[in-house]
Amino acid sequence: MLGKIIKNKQAVIGLIMIIIVLIAAVLAPVIAPNDPMKVNITKKFQNNSSEYPLGTDQLGRCVFSRLVYGARYSLGIVIPILLVVALLSIILGTSAAYVGGKFDRIFILISDMVMAFPPLVIVLALVGSLGQGILNLAFAMIFSVWVWYAKVVRSYVLIEKNKDYVTAAIIAGSTDKDIIIKHIVPNILPSLIVFFSTGVAGMILMISGFSFLGLGIEAGTPEWGAMLSGAKQYIYSRPYMIAYPGICILFTAAGFNLFGEALRDIISP
Amino acid sequence: MTKYIKKRLIGLIVVLIGITFLSFIMSNISPVDPAEAFMRRNAQTATEEQIENLREEMGLNLPIHTQYLRWLTNAMQGDFGKSLVSNKPVMEEILSKFPATLTIVGMALIIIVVLTIIIGVLCASHKDSLFDNLTKVVTILGVSIPNFWLGFMLLFLFAVSFKLVPVVGYGSIKNAILPSITLAIATSSSSIRLLRSNMLENQNKDFVTYAKARGIPKKKIIWKHIFKNAVPPMITLFGQTIGYMIAGTAIVESVFSWPGIGSYAVNAIFARDLPVINAYVLIMAFIFVICNLLADILNAALNPQMLRESGDL
Repeated sequence: MLGKIIKNKQAVIGLIMIIIVLIAAVLAPVIAPNDPMKVNITKKFQNNSSEYPLGTDQLGRCVFSRLVYGARYSLGIVIPILLVVALLSIILGTSAAYVGGKFDRIFILISDMVMAFPPLVIVLALVGSLGQGILNLAFAMIFSVWVWYAKVVRSYVLIEKNKDYVTAAIIAGSTDKDIIIKHIVPNILPSLIVFFSTGVAGMILMISGFSFLGLGIEAGTPEWGAMLSGAKQYIYSRPYMIAYPGICILFTAAGFNLFGEALRDIISP
Repeated sequence: MTKYIKKRLIGLIVVLIGITFLSFIMSNISPVDPAEAFMRRNAQTATEEQIENLREEMGLNLPIHTQYLRWLTNAMQGDFGKSLVSNKPVMEEILSKFPATLTIVGMALIIIVVLTIIIGVLCASHKDSLFDNLTKVVTILGVSIPNFWLGFMLLFLFAVSFKLVPVVGYGSIKNAILPSITLAIATSSSSIRLLRSNMLENQNKDFVTYAKARGIPKKKIIWKHIFKNAVPPMITLFGQTIGYMIAGTAIVESVFSWPGIGSYAVNAIFARDLPVINAYVLIMAFIFVICNLLADILNAALNPQMLRESGDL
């Protein structure tokens, strides 16, 4: 598996892009030359210099440092959301498929209802009625996407459940818990990783979109979507201020998409 | 066929009931009391008594299931109450915003279909060519690009630098060009790739080999056999896409200050205008479900044998 990834050019490029963003997020205080929040009105809209590699914004804050710290926000929000969604969907999807019967029918009914709403609409509705704030946004994101993931997990488990080795395990007297944890989950995991990896890209785009709208993340936070939103009034005079955060989002999302798709080709050619 | 449609319609009714239920819950878990919010906004000094009276008038003191039934009966007649901001009927306002959104969604859809068919077929028929590889890179970028950023870049390029289209504004088709392109890029990228892979899958099927053996020209094989059989999954995707786009215009509309349903909903969220949010959610889900259903029925009508294979008939 690992050998195949290294041999696949697309997977390597994607992985390198992801690692660059990860390094930026983890080592942000080391990489960033300045404090991303430090306001200095006398130094606003400065050009590139050794002190400010990408210049400064409307409040004299170092654009480069803010971009580096932005990686923390993007990944720091997406990864916890993804973990919760992964856990929820694996538990619910697996039990619906494995238990079957009435439980499965109720699961299908609920998921059909939730899937009748485009995820964006659910997030807008929930943020609208619960109020803005990052926790509400995270909750709304989880609520809007879990069902799509759980449905996919369920379909994988259904296929796996009817394979001979599971039947053999049942005959051999394995408990349900053992069959699920030791047999089914490890076997569907590669497909799930692919699915979640491309999902990360979508979530990063969604979150940056919401913070661009001003929902969820406070203005002034060095988050890419929020930075873009703050820069939009300077589109004529300082277009680069809009360009940089967008390139960061594009870079991160493209990394996950490239990696996820290459992984899919490796797993199911 | 009629049996299939009947079956789907029964399923639709169940889902629609579920939608109203979920919409109602989502807009009622708000910690804000709508009566109080309304009074604070519209009257400088609202006494407890006035708020209590309004609460009674709005039916907020009734048990929750009665409230739901009341809301449902009104909603079915197109009555979603009045906006807390403008004090006008919500339905009237939403209907007045629809044409703007439908304009850009309609134009985006035309762009998507044209791009998908031309580029998708070219890629599949010239697999691994320079064009195919280039398309692969461009479409990966297309699904990774934040659409609000793309909007700004297009705005900067075509409106500010080249001055080909007006910067912002509403009214003429010219104004709708950039928002439509912005909306179309991501979907075009994913549907080009879907069409390409569907066509490649069909290329190795027996009927194509047979057609080749009969000496049918390559062009005819591509269109009459490979393309035709790759279309059904595309119809399903487009059905879903239309619903997604109508809902997803919120971000694009905000970039271009486009007075459509999406920016209306975003403004309502900032103002915590619950009746508007409520109606928006219900109507969007309704459109989404209907589009999906129409796509499925269209598919079933075009390929009755598909139903037989899947055991739906």
